[in-house]
Amino acid sequence: MSDITAPLDGIETIAHPGPWSRAGRALRTFARRSPLSAFWGCIAALIIVIAVAAPALPLYPPLKSDFRAMTKPPTEKHVFGTDQIGRDTLSRVIHGSRASLTIAVSAVVLGTTFGAFWGLACGYFGGRFDLISQRLMEFLQSFPDLILAMAIAMALGAGFGTVIVAIAITRIPFGGRVIRSVVLSLKEMSYVEAARGLGASHARMMLRHILPQCVAPYLILATTHLGVAIIIEASLGFLGAGIPPPTPTWGNMLADSLNAGLVPPWWLVLFPGAAITLTVLSFNLLGDGIRDALDPRLRGSV
Amino acid sequence: MYSYITRRLAYGVLTVFGVSVVVFVVMRVLPGDPLVALFGPEGYTKLSAAERASYMAELGLSDPLIVQYLHWMRDIASGSFGHSFFRSESVAEMLLRRGPLTAEIALLSVVLSWVVGIPVAIVSALRPNSWGDNIARFLSILFLAVPGFWVGMLIILAMLFWFGYRPPLTNVSLLENPWENLQVVIGPAFVLGMGQAAYIARMARSALLEVIREDYVRTARAKGLSGRLVVALHALPNALLPVITLSGILMGFVLAGSIPVERAFATPGLGFAMYSAVSERDVFVMQNLVFVYAIVFVMINMVIDLTIAWLDPRIRYQ
Repeated sequence: MSDITAPLDGIETIAHPGPWSRAGRALRTFARRSPLSAFWGCIAALIIVIAVAAPALPLYPPLKSDFRAMTKPPTEKHVFGTDQIGRDTLSRVIHGSRASLTIAVSAVVLGTTFGAFWGLACGYFGGRFDLISQRLMEFLQSFPDLILAMAIAMALGAGFGTVIVAIAITRIPFGGRVIRSVVLSLKEMSYVEAARGLGASHARMMLRHILPQCVAPYLILATTHLGVAIIIEASLGFLGAGIPPPTPTWGNMLADSLNAGLVPPWWLVLFPGAAITLTVLSFNLLGDGIRDALDPRLRGSV
Repeated sequence: MYSYITRRLAYGVLTVFGVSVVVFVVMRVLPGDPLVALFGPEGYTKLSAAERASYMAELGLSDPLIVQYLHWMRDIASGSFGHSFFRSESVAEMLLRRGPLTAEIALLSVVLSWVVGIPVAIVSALRPNSWGDNIARFLSILFLAVPGFWVGMLIILAMLFWFGYRPPLTNVSLLENPWENLQVVIGPAFVLGMGQAAYIARMARSALLEVIREDYVRTARAKGLSGRLVVALHALPNALLPVITLSGILMGFVLAGSIPVERAFATPGLGFAMYSAVSERDVFVMQNLVFVYAIVFVMINMVIDLTIAWLDPRIRYQ
């Protein structure tokens, strides 16, 4: 390979495409084929960048109260207004994105990965193990997901890690069932049979030959479930089963606004909810785009 | 058909048992101490060891787990569902008093979702990628992303701001005072209905688009039936089967969604009771309510499956 791309005398050649430029080309193709998803992907990326950079941004501290500016509507000084103890709403909305995104991403990755490996084992081994696992997953799916997450978060005691675990458990059956069905059809492929014929061990067959084919459905599943996880996290916060205050999360802020008086001030309701909607919308549309790009057959199914 | 019914019922009984075990494991066996849940972390540290032991014995928490599970099943079988830790009301009384309101909200929201979702889907599917279709699809994507409880809060604010109107906060039955009951129920039902309508419109659109391509639909058109009659008589009935199944699955969305939505509207239904149980750390009420919600969800899906099997012979002969 190296002699083919070696620079010729006096002529500048194009460098061998490295992984980065390949990724860049894939992104460009994605943007050309579905510009709408690419646009929403940019919004999602912007939301993530703002969340990561929040401590460096010129904002009021999210926990500092200002008793001269309590429950003030939006002004030039506080663009999104202040809450009942004078905390800046803009700062809290932006800092709230950190908790919401961290929890949603970790919960989805944790739950889907666990489910995926479980589904891989179920599909590969089949038999009694598969039968029992399927029943267990169905039991988990017999609960509306928010209710199961509420019960687990309540039993474990509210906190950052417990909320992640609570949401992750509700994601396990989805990962399990989708990956299991993928594995069931892969198992019949002739290349897998060939590997078996060559005497590959179970672990090698699963990890080396079947697992790589599960990456696309896994990615699709994870991105499409991010939005759901964000809404569950916000609902848990709103119901007082999420991260305890004063940590700003969007759900906590909406719950707080109900304590701000008989009628909640509109700016305390509007902005956190709009942040949830915008984030979920962008992740959902990005997920749809990724699904269509990676596997058009799954359109509308995952 | 009978063998299908028996199989589905046996399967339902197994699921109910599994669900009860999951609830029990989550609420009793997970590492969280129920006394911490009841008293809070600060309250728990203030209790002496003897007090802790006596509370545990009084609540039946120091029995072996299997005994605790059997006691719980006995309470459920006797119809009392155990007692709230903080209120004199038993969970059964709570279900009877608050349940009807939430059931009404759920039913009304399902009706709304069909009334809105199906016509939108028909308009969308008849002219795919037209203006109307694109607007309908954008709205359904938007409604999938909006948290229902937030929409509820916005509706309350808007009604108060523009009309000075606030829905009544009383728990009146439909038979006693239908007008006031409707005002309590309509807000939550609308919010939950629109959320479901988004899913239903999406599903019905793609189902219709698939069915319209079938041979029998082309035959109906070829024999000179008008487009409207083809859709109404030939395409729609078959396209509705997956939508019925989806509607059952969406009951999970309604049951769970009604908790934050009832909190937003301050509706005195079961969802609000669940919210109170969480904020009061009332483990026993929570355990029973979670169980009841899961059972309702399982039952509804069982009825839906049987309905689908009755409507579609292909299912029952599988």
